[in-house]
Amino acid sequence: MSDQRIQIGGLTLQNPVLTASGTFGYGLEYDDFYDVATLGGICTKGLSREPRYGNPPERICETPAGMLNAIGLANVGVEFFCKEKLPVLRERGVTVVANIFASSVEDFVAITERLESETGVAAIELNVSCPNVSKGGIEFGRDPKLAAQVTAACKAATKLPLWVKMSPEAGDIVGVAKACEDAGADAVTAINTIRGMSIDTSTGRVRLANRTGGLSGPALRPIALRIVWDLVGALKIPVIGIGGVFTTEDAVEFMLAGASAVQVGTANFSDPLAANKIRLGIAEYCAARGLTASQLIGRGRPEGA
Amino acid sequence: MPDPSSLTKSRTPRRQVTAPLLRRDSMGNAYHVLTFDLPEGMEALPGQFAMVRGAEWGDAPLLPRPMSFLTGGNRPSILIKVFGEGTIRMARAIPGEPFEILGPLGNTWPAVSPGKRPLLVAGGVGVAPLLYLARELSSAGEKPIAVYGGRSHRDLPLNEELADVSELYITTEDGSRGAAGRVTLPLPELLSDDVEVFTCGPDRMMAAVAELCAAKGIRCIASLETPMACGYGVCLGCPVKRAGGGYLYACTDGPCIDATSIDWGEGNHAPRRVERGER
Ligand SMILES: Cc1cc2nc3c(=O)[nH]c(=O)nc-3n(C[C@H](O)[C@H](O)[C@H](O)COP(=O)(O)OP(=O)(O)OC[C@H]3O[C@@H](n4cnc5c(N)ncnc54)[C@H](O)[C@@H]3O)c2cc1C
Ligand SMILES: Cc1cc2nc3c(=O)[nH]c(=O)nc-3n(C[C@H](O)[C@H](O)[C@H](O)COP(=O)(O)O)c2cc1C
Ligand code: FES
Repeated sequence: MSDQRIQIGGLTLQNPVLTASGTFGYGLEYDDFYDVATLGGICTKGLSREPRYGNPPERICETPAGMLNAIGLANVGVEFFCKEKLPVLRERGVTVVANIFASSVEDFVAITERLESETGVAAIELNVSCPNVSKGGIEFGRDPKLAAQVTAACKAATKLPLWVKMSPEAGDIVGVAKACEDAGADAVTAINTIRGMSIDTSTGRVRLANRTGGLSGPALRPIALRIVWDLVGALKIPVIGIGGVFTTEDAVEFMLAGASAVQVGTANFSDPLAANKIRLGIAEYCAARGLTASQLIGRGRPEGA
Repeated sequence: MPDPSSLTKSRTPRRQVTAPLLRRDSMGNAYHVLTFDLPEGMEALPGQFAMVRGAEWGDAPLLPRPMSFLTGGNRPSILIKVFGEGTIRMARAIPGEPFEILGPLGNTWPAVSPGKRPLLVAGGVGVAPLLYLARELSSAGEKPIAVYGGRSHRDLPLNEELADVSELYITTEDGSRGAAGRVTLPLPELLSDDVEVFTCGPDRMMAAVAELCAAKGIRCIASLETPMACGYGVCLGCPVKRAGGGYLYACTDGPCIDATSIDWGEGNHAPRRVERGER
């Protein structure tokens, strides 16, 4: 078996496959399917300072090779997560990346501090890019100065590795990512969903109660790949690729573009075993070529790109 | 029928299996029963559902479709009504075609309270989980009363099968079969202190049934059909408004939910899609 370990800043992942926030619950729903501790890691549903109910129905609808969601960041809140979910995950040896969001720097810091006080969190992922709530962070993700400010404030509040999740809707996504890098981010993850819409022609009504929703799935993949490529070219810190990863080939594509790891999202809905299959698939792909997983990173880029 | 008290609590491990279609029995263009060949079996109880997807569908349709079990065991079956792309594909499937079946998911119909007679109220394709329930009740010697309604006689799939295991009343909106009117028509007479209601069908129908039951203080269990992406509690895409605020999730809190804990008001559900051929 080829070496599948991946280095993300100071953190070593046992392999490059994680699950994307919001598509894997808190990782405890997969007991019947497989041992999620075998994954490189899981990103939790976005955690806020207080629990949130989320948006009214309908929250989801299918679109060509993808889906729209406007969940509205429904979640149990950071306190409940730390008390009820984290201990179980810790016990099982799961690599937990806590995805967090807030509408103020102060709240971002408060959640970070709460997580810092626990053991069993491997990294914190700042969601500065959720498109589905009026005050939920996307304003931080659009503006390099604000993104840097959140990153620096959270960085000062924790010794844990800090990842920042990029919005594809930032006009200057490379600028935002660079600002986060300068502010101390250990990695960036890209991308979150892009806002879309769908209207049911038979009823004449917009399908989602929130009107717009974030597009995810294979339809997003080429856009995500292009953004990952650009970010890898511009940053020194690792980039984690997300967007329509459904198969081993999709994951390898991101790594060849320079992603250090991938996150599997919507694919979990089509097949709860998807992330595990991709994990095994990458190992096979590497073994067949005599490569380690980290040797895949950026292998598709011409010299110096 | 298994021990009633364990009905909603017992949980068979979920599995994702690939199973070939054994047969497709079509009732006109709109309704089809798909039976799968699953030698190792799936212990699905009445009320539970599966996420079903053609193994060779590729990226479109992308998500699996939630479907109630019509039967479980080593030849699990579902009754589908053609709506959009996913059910069109299912309606065209030929024996041998591989399907991915994720199940059993969700809770089951709860046990009938001691001394009560079950009254099943089905609308169209909502008959599937109720026929499964009726079969179990009937073989346990507790033949239920059933009311089954559709737009016309063509919208009553499996009504003969239901008649075999229940005391059946039929209604059609156009009067082409049974009493002319909605499925709620015979309810005022049937709703007494001695019955408990189990219902599945369009939201508006279930809302009307729930209201009639609530007025008489009769227990009513509704099986909800909301859009779902995952079917097992991770996407949070399947909320229904809870009476008193907040949400219930159809896949993990249901699909079978006590009607009084649901806010049936407008705005809970998006307007029901119009079926193909109805537009
Ligand atoms: C627990 C449960 C049990 C169900 N049991 C049955 C059954 O036994 N027989 C049957 O014919 N139908 C059943 N349904 C409804 C069925 O899942 C939808 O009609 C079906 O998903 C429509 O898919 P489509 O591709 O034909 O339509 P499309 O309109 O192309 O679907 C597009 C998307 O919307 C979702 N969607 C739209 N309407 C619904 C809906 N009412 N319920 C769920 N998802 C929806 C689909 O899953 C899909 O992701 C059940 C739904 C649930 C939640
Ligand atoms: C239903 C759903 C819920 C999501 N919730 C979150 C969330 O809470 N926080 C977050 O950072 N991203 C969230 N996302 C975005 C995903 O993590 C991911 O970035 C996006 O879906 C693209 O990847 P995919 O195409 O593999 O799904 C969510 C996505 C979906 C589909
Ligand atoms: S369908 Fe995903 S949470 Fe209910």
